[in-house]
Amino acid sequence: MSLFILAAFTTAYSGWHTVMKRVWEAYSGFLVVGFVFLLFLVAGVWMHWHHLYHWAADGITDISDPHYDAILAGKSGFLNKNWYTFGTVVIVSVWAFFAYRLRSLSLQEDERGGDGYAIHRKIKFVSAIFLPIAAFTSCAMIWQWVMSIDAHWYSTMFAWYATASWAVSAFAITILTLIYLKSKGYYPNVTAEHFHDIGKYLFGISVFWTYLWFSQFMLIWYANVGEETGYFLLRRDNYTFIWYANLVLNFVLPFLVLMRNDTKRKFGTLAFVSIIVLIGHWIDFFMMVKPGALITAKEAALLEAGGHAGHHEMTYEFMMGFTIPGFLEIGTFLGFGALFMYVAFTQLAKAKLEPEHDPYLAESLHHHV
Amino acid sequence: MATATHNEVLFGLYDDEEILMDAVKEANAQHLTIMDVYTPFPVHGLDPLLGLKESRLHIAGFIYGSIGTMTAFGVMTWIFTRDWPIIFGGKPYWSVPSFIPITFELTVLFAAIGMVVTFYTVCGLGPGVTNPTLDDRITDDKFCIAFRTNNSSEEEISSLRSFFDRTGASFINTKTI
Repeated sequence: MSLFILAAFTTAYSGWHTVMKRVWEAYSGFLVVGFVFLLFLVAGVWMHWHHLYHWAADGITDISDPHYDAILAGKSGFLNKNWYTFGTVVIVSVWAFFAYRLRSLSLQEDERGGDGYAIHRKIKFVSAIFLPIAAFTSCAMIWQWVMSIDAHWYSTMFAWYATASWAVSAFAITILTLIYLKSKGYYPNVTAEHFHDIGKYLFGISVFWTYLWFSQFMLIWYANVGEETGYFLLRRDNYTFIWYANLVLNFVLPFLVLMRNDTKRKFGTLAFVSIIVLIGHWIDFFMMVKPGALITAKEAALLEAGGHAGHHEMTYEFMMGFTIPGFLEIGTFLGFGALFMYVAFTQLAKAKLEPEHDPYLAESLHHHV
Repeated sequence: MATATHNEVLFGLYDDEEILMDAVKEANAQHLTIMDVYTPFPVHGLDPLLGLKESRLHIAGFIYGSIGTMTAFGVMTWIFTRDWPIIFGGKPYWSVPSFIPITFELTVLFAAIGMVVTFYTVCGLGPGVTNPTLDDRITDDKFCIAFRTNNSSEEEISSLRSFFDRTGASFINTKTI
């Protein structure tokens, strides 16, 4: 996501972000590490290590099989193991390639000087190619990775919704990193003006996320189609607290706190909101993943026991780690967060913090809102 | 802001915003009371130099928006539960999700119209109001500093003129507005 932001800003002739663009370049270095973890997930789909995806079960598309599922058979053109593997391996590699390309071009610019803007033009070119690729492929990947956990359900707004969630998280973590680095004495040139602008993005995209969150809900609520309503019914009835907490953390708090001009310029408030929002969007993804994963896990357990569970007969009881985030979930969150920060800071340490020969650096240094 | 009628004004035009900024700093250093500064576009960093406070328009906007939210929600609640309850699509009478889009629209509408009306009222603008300009070029490419000289003595005016000369004004004039 940070790579996407970087590419979008570069293509849009933005100047203000230049002074801290190395942070986003460093984040994109995590793609390679994340790729390794995703390979485990892919291997799991083939080897049946996990029952995350209902569509990956055996015999689901075979009409003579007792486990035949007409809806999933209809979707099997996309929801199958081959596409899942292709998407994860090829598409994430393409992302990582673009991340590497933009990063190395940016480093070249440091070394060889401006070169008459030749390198900057090349960066622009690569960014512009990356944008449509990232837009379409990230949709496809979020469908396969997350939306297909609830394989019967689909929403055309889901990719937008998840993208907004990613974007908010990316800006929140950018703010936290920058504030941390500033407290250590780095980035003297990143001023309240820059934070003000990232704060605006945090505010704006939080509102955008709410818009999508609500629209996705409202269209389905209004149409009242059983297949789709079940998704929300499950979440509202069994996850009532998290359901509303999600909205409060990700909309009400950032909306009311960041609305004022000066809260976006104070590091304390900004850091507070960033942490809240980061946790909020983690909970958001928890809500996307866990209820569906619980159902598929239970169904798989029943299948192994020999019976076939109807989709609507399932009783629902409290389950640590599924109904609310348990220690395992929090630990995973912290672990990945720490790994991410480790990779990001290692990448950050490898290059100059400020891109010296970027033609937009001067504009960024004099940024004033 | 609101212009009082019949002010004697001495003003100087500058060719560039950099020169203008230096001139304003110089005027501040000499404790000259600037009546107003006119620029063809917003100049960054000028507001704090002139001692202008942050506008309170956005607070007004928040209040108007809140009024809009409450109006929309209250009126819809009243209509759909008291005045004329109708069942739409099997939903309850008081179906909050379907109220949200209209509430949002009315919040934006109230905030927008309220802020425009407030802005026009405070600035004394409106249909049929003409605002005299010191020089038409301040809407194009000139940057203007204006001093009010209603009761100024000859020495004060000549010192202001020499201030304009020193700070590089390209054109100096007086006007009654």
